[in-house]
Amino acid sequence: MSYKIPMGPYHPALEEPYKLDMICEGETVLDAKLHIGFNFRGIEHLAETRNHIQAIALMERVCGICSFIHTLTFCRAMEGLTDQTPPPRAQYIRVIMAELERLHSHVLWAGIAAKLMGFKTMFMTCFEIREKVMDILAAISGNRVNYSMNRIGGVNRDITDPQSILSMVEKLEGEMARTVIPIFTTSRTARSRCAGIGVLTKEQAISCAVVGPVARASGVGQDLRKDAPYAAYPEMEFDVPVVPDGDVRARLLVRALEIMESCKILRQALAKLPPGEFHTGDDKFNFITGISTARVEAPRGEVMYSVSWKEGSRNPARVHVRTPTFAVMPAIRWMVKGARLADTPLIQASIDPCYSCTDR
Amino acid sequence: MSSLETIQRKLGISVSFVEMGGVHWLALDASKVRELAQAMNEIYARFITITAYQLPKDEGFRLEYHWDLNGQLLGFSFQLAGKSIESIFDLTEAADWIEREIHEEYGIDFTGREYEPLLLRQGETMGVNLREAVATSQEKI
Repeated sequence: MSYKIPMGPYHPALEEPYKLDMICEGETVLDAKLHIGFNFRGIEHLAETRNHIQAIALMERVCGICSFIHTLTFCRAMEGLTDQTPPPRAQYIRVIMAELERLHSHVLWAGIAAKLMGFKTMFMTCFEIREKVMDILAAISGNRVNYSMNRIGGVNRDITDPQSILSMVEKLEGEMARTVIPIFTTSRTARSRCAGIGVLTKEQAISCAVVGPVARASGVGQDLRKDAPYAAYPEMEFDVPVVPDGDVRARLLVRALEIMESCKILRQALAKLPPGEFHTGDDKFNFITGISTARVEAPRGEVMYSVSWKEGSRNPARVHVRTPTFAVMPAIRWMVKGARLADTPLIQASIDPCYSCTDR
Repeated sequence: MSSLETIQRKLGISVSFVEMGGVHWLALDASKVRELAQAMNEIYARFITITAYQLPKDEGFRLEYHWDLNGQLLGFSFQLAGKSIESIFDLTEAADWIEREIHEEYGIDFTGREYEPLLLRQGETMGVNLREAVATSQEKI
């Protein structure tokens, strides 16, 4: 006989509010239905009531982890409406910040995944390392979470001493290579808890149009940093890790390998940081009538902003935000089908969901 | 034949894509939406999202559908005279949530599918244009 188990919207196994109604038979999940909207703040509509400076601050609050990525995407869209091209130094600083944010996001996720695996010491290690990434972010921007780095035509703060940031990154890379990476790639505990569970096949990944590490862990090799490069990414050499298995372990592996690729990008960007201005110097803009679209590869996958403006207006006419979790979350239904009930918290966490982004 | 020409051929149209700000745009008649979704599936394009715009006065709505084709961003614009367009959910599974969201926020009906609340928790507000409802009514929505 089947029965329904509701998980959420407030549940110890979920870090943020959402609800999963699971139909189970014994310990096996037969089907599931997702409910979101518990964090709906109407940010897209609020943006229509803000000028371009206020709207950047608002967009920084779409997500607490990818706050830089959201303002980067929004500013890139607005640069298309104001004919602004950030100088090369700004493009490099944007890459540095974006990769530090990816490190911070992936290490935070690794910690939460470790906790859900019952690997509490690993959780502590990950959060200690994450703190060091945040120290670097704070050293550059002066802030730990909302960095206020992006502006139309560049960034607000320069990196005045790239060598000191580089040495911090190298130290961090060494620590991650010694602790996090081997445990997530070779540990028996990680393998026994993650291998073969929460499988999303390549066909399902394509059908659901999932993005980011979840897609790459199902054998879909897409990454906007390579496919549609922006900022200074065309000048960076790095690989896009792709694992075909589609299970939780594959998602773990992809993110672990991406941590090392991010360090590789950071070393290049800091070493090659070009001289010059870090913004165009303009603070008054003539917005043209039209729609501008920008995409960026966030830690969780593709973020897309469409910004519509009417000439002479102080505020955007429309801002639409497509976040990566909005694209990935519906696939949880396929991942939990056939899974053991006890595995579902880890399966859900394996997509690195952000409900705040999803609801906006 | 380029991938963009392939799309034109599959849709049986002679109008060419226009490149603007890194997006390849094509304006289509609303009756073509399912044909478009089918064509996108056939060339393995990845669905991204739909953006709804409410036009001034009584001009209706415009919907913009986006797909990614190997890093190329494709945009398809549909002008709606009324408030409905055929759903592509059965052809493009990934369109489910965004169709539901637009239905909730703008009251646009994606015909041929059933709805459940997505972002808004109160079922009675389903299918209401919240902008107009908020602007013209003092009642609690």
